[in-house]
Amino acid sequence: MASLRGWGFEREEISLLDKVKQLNFTLILLIVAIAAIGFAMLYSAANGDIDPWARRQMIRFAVGVGVMICVALVDIRVWLRGAYVIYGAALILLIAVEIIGEIGMGAQRWIDLGFFQLQPSELMKLALVIALARYFHALTLEDVRRPTVLIVPTLMVLTPAAMVLRQPDLGTAVMLMAGSGAVFFLAGVRMWKFAVVIGAGLAMIPVAWHVLEDYQKSRILTFLHPEADPLGAGYHILQSKIALGSGGVLGKGFLAGTQSHLNFLPEKQTDFIFTMLAEEFGLVGGLGLIGLYGLVLAYGFAIAVRSRNQFGRLLALGVTTTLFLYVFINIAMVTGLIPVVGVPLPLLSYGGTAMMTMLAGMGLIMGVYVHRDVMIRRHGAADDF
Amino acid sequence: MMESDDLVRDDLARSEAVAQEARRNARRIELVGTRSRAVEVGRSRLAAAAVMFGIAFLVIAGRLVDITLIEGPAEPRVAHSVASEPTVARADITDRNGVILATSLPTRSLYADPALILDPDNAADRLAAVLPELDPVDLRAKLAKRSRFVWIKRNLTPRQQAAVNALGVPGFAFVREERRVYPHGALTAHVVGFTGVDNRGLAGVERHFDQQLRSGPVTLSLDIRVQHIVRDALSKSVATFQAVGGSALVMDVRTGELLSMVSLPDFDPHEPARASDDQRFNRNTLGVYEMGSTFKVFTAAMALDAGVVPVNGGYDASEPLKVSRFTIRDYHAKNRWLSVPEILLYSSNIGAAKMAMAVGGERQQRFFDSLGLTRPLSVELSEIGNPMTPAKWREINVVTAAYGHGIAVTPLHLAAGVAAVVNGGELHPATLVKHETGVPVPGERVISAETSSLMRAMLRLVVAEGTGRKADAPGYYVGGKTGTAEKSVNGHYARKALISSFVGMFPSDNPRYLVLAMLDEPHGTKETFGYATGGWTAAPVVGEVVSRIGPMLGVVPRETGGEPEQTMLIKVRNDEAAH
Repeated sequence: MASLRGWGFEREEISLLDKVKQLNFTLILLIVAIAAIGFAMLYSAANGDIDPWARRQMIRFAVGVGVMICVALVDIRVWLRGAYVIYGAALILLIAVEIIGEIGMGAQRWIDLGFFQLQPSELMKLALVIALARYFHALTLEDVRRPTVLIVPTLMVLTPAAMVLRQPDLGTAVMLMAGSGAVFFLAGVRMWKFAVVIGAGLAMIPVAWHVLEDYQKSRILTFLHPEADPLGAGYHILQSKIALGSGGVLGKGFLAGTQSHLNFLPEKQTDFIFTMLAEEFGLVGGLGLIGLYGLVLAYGFAIAVRSRNQFGRLLALGVTTTLFLYVFINIAMVTGLIPVVGVPLPLLSYGGTAMMTMLAGMGLIMGVYVHRDVMIRRHGAADDF
Repeated sequence: MMESDDLVRDDLARSEAVAQEARRNARRIELVGTRSRAVEVGRSRLAAAAVMFGIAFLVIAGRLVDITLIEGPAEPRVAHSVASEPTVARADITDRNGVILATSLPTRSLYADPALILDPDNAADRLAAVLPELDPVDLRAKLAKRSRFVWIKRNLTPRQQAAVNALGVPGFAFVREERRVYPHGALTAHVVGFTGVDNRGLAGVERHFDQQLRSGPVTLSLDIRVQHIVRDALSKSVATFQAVGGSALVMDVRTGELLSMVSLPDFDPHEPARASDDQRFNRNTLGVYEMGSTFKVFTAAMALDAGVVPVNGGYDASEPLKVSRFTIRDYHAKNRWLSVPEILLYSSNIGAAKMAMAVGGERQQRFFDSLGLTRPLSVELSEIGNPMTPAKWREINVVTAAYGHGIAVTPLHLAAGVAAVVNGGELHPATLVKHETGVPVPGERVISAETSSLMRAMLRLVVAEGTGRKADAPGYYVGGKTGTAEKSVNGHYARKALISSFVGMFPSDNPRYLVLAMLDEPHGTKETFGYATGGWTAAPVVGEVVSRIGPMLGVVPRETGGEPEQTMLIKVRNDEAAH
């Protein structure tokens, strides 16, 4: 009956088989290819051993792909309806770990789910995109241009961002704000407002400097002058640059990266895995991986363009932006373009959280594709069934 | 719900302004247009975002090219500074020829973090199996502590480190440290000293130059070859005469540089904690002794220099000398008038006492002051003994000081003083730091060059014909003076406990080096007919040292038979005076 309502054409309920047929298998193939590179690098990071990293990463990936497909097959209107609930749940979890973390074990910011640890700040990355997509979905372009309308979504962004910043996790906070910014941008918020916000942000830098933790300051200073303390704060980035430089065009060969295998390179299985890839497979390997990520992003954009509903478009673009930020911040960080902020490389870095965020996000993008022709009315997703 | 329902509800509510109503209706009409505009804005912004992301990706790709291909040349510099060999914090100590006496080796020290150790008992047992010197019970207690850091063992060898790593027990880790190594071990223990576990100098030169060694090496005046010979000769003598200890040194009389300084018993500087106090005691600089007859060198020099007696003059020594309630006797009593050279030759206490009385207490005290006998040494060690001098300089003190009793100094005080007497009359403070060769060292004049020359001749006579005959080394014309003092035990002199010494120099016509040997409580042997005096026990040590170090130090032995001219002269006068 939904088809009879609203503005003319709306797609009928799609059968599960049709949905599976609609899954974008090229995109899945790309994701598997990136993950496979990750397995190889983790195998190499353990000096040619499937344990302790590669095996667990494969299991997580398998689970994650399952989650991704499930997310893709769920009707997009379910996400629309549940958007604020998901956001609220993520916010409560974020508050909960903050309180538990302070009362209990100090810096613990995750909830142990057995096979992986759920970090509410990661969940918030997707939840925020979904919630903002819903909020802007319900607005017309004219509405968006009224400044007062932006108060609520701004608060929706700043609340979790401030909490994450307090943890303190600068990388995640930046990602939350930049990802949301992309959704705001696509929703049609006027350019001068962005200019105001960016200008205000720049003006805040001197104030923010005093708020930053000492280690964060040292990271920024180290970024500016890594050679100042080659054995201390500058060690990570200098070693990373040495490893990248020593790889050359074609690299030293699989399992033959000396900087990483001799443990000069810290965190080679997590944040600095790209460095290890570039050391062993050279410039060719590094550019190849960037190319693969670029293809995934292109798919994300294409899906956003193809989506006939605003929610799906904003959702696809928000998630694509999140992926973009992960990749960009990580690679820019290990190549010394920006300070070390501790952002993993999605699908490659060892660890369950980022992989789950990424795969669930890709599931959402695929879901947008599967449901690209579903028309959703501006007011009320609740009664579209 | 439908758009019209909304309108109906709005109408029913009638609470909104007409203008608002109109705007709403207008919007409804424009809906299609608005949507297409929204899509357009969306599309153009999507494209803008895509372009931005594309640029960002190009930036990181470009950066990757930059860092792998273009920034390459800067890499070796950084790699070098990171991989460069760590330098040790404490510099070397070398002898005058650059032979290393103390150096630092980087090592690893083992500690444990008990919080990371799962099974302390098991870990302790396994560790004790590879490091058997550790006590398993003690180890268990350490590993069960609630702290996050306990030292297990300092300065492991690479082999031990590998063994601990091979255990694979979590919770153990290593700290980079350095260990002080003394290649010559006990040979230089008292001079070089030692450091504690934290590499701070605790004794000897290590302590005196603790700060300086953190910035650069220290070159000592020691000659390790001479040190070896001196220790060899002294330790043989200590063994032969069953002495409780001994000391010996070699000094350059022109500069005050010490080429050798040995104190026995000694110790392994790598394990100072295992050594007894007696072993760690440096008799040369910390030991304060009544030196006995060797002080007669000072008495004679003082008397001749003051002009109270000519060299061919003398004193009656036929009767024991009574001073207040004390009676002064001679050991080798001649019971006749003795010339100044004879007083030294036969080591007459009576003669020395009379010379000192002729000079007077005030001048004697000043003379001792000028020789540095009354103040602590300035040598570069922390083990410095304070000389003991009479509180009030009475007549009896003047008399006993004349033959080295009632005043106690270190052997090094004696050596520096005698060196000043024989080197032409200038005092050079004893030093352990190498002087620039060829640069004359200014000294403080204590006696005239002429007196010094006379003293050299008389000291040669002591060795040629007097109590010091066993110190002679053929061709080196050794001159010197014996000393035998009874040790003061609980305020009384112990007849059987002697400090037997000999201070010599060679060649006596133009001395280059002074050699001093001292034995603590030597016992006479069959070969010495039961005598344990300086002439029988310490003098042979000096003789052996001279004959062995002379060639090494470039002192050419001369034909034997002819004595240096000055000695001949004094001998003749002496004979005349005796008749």
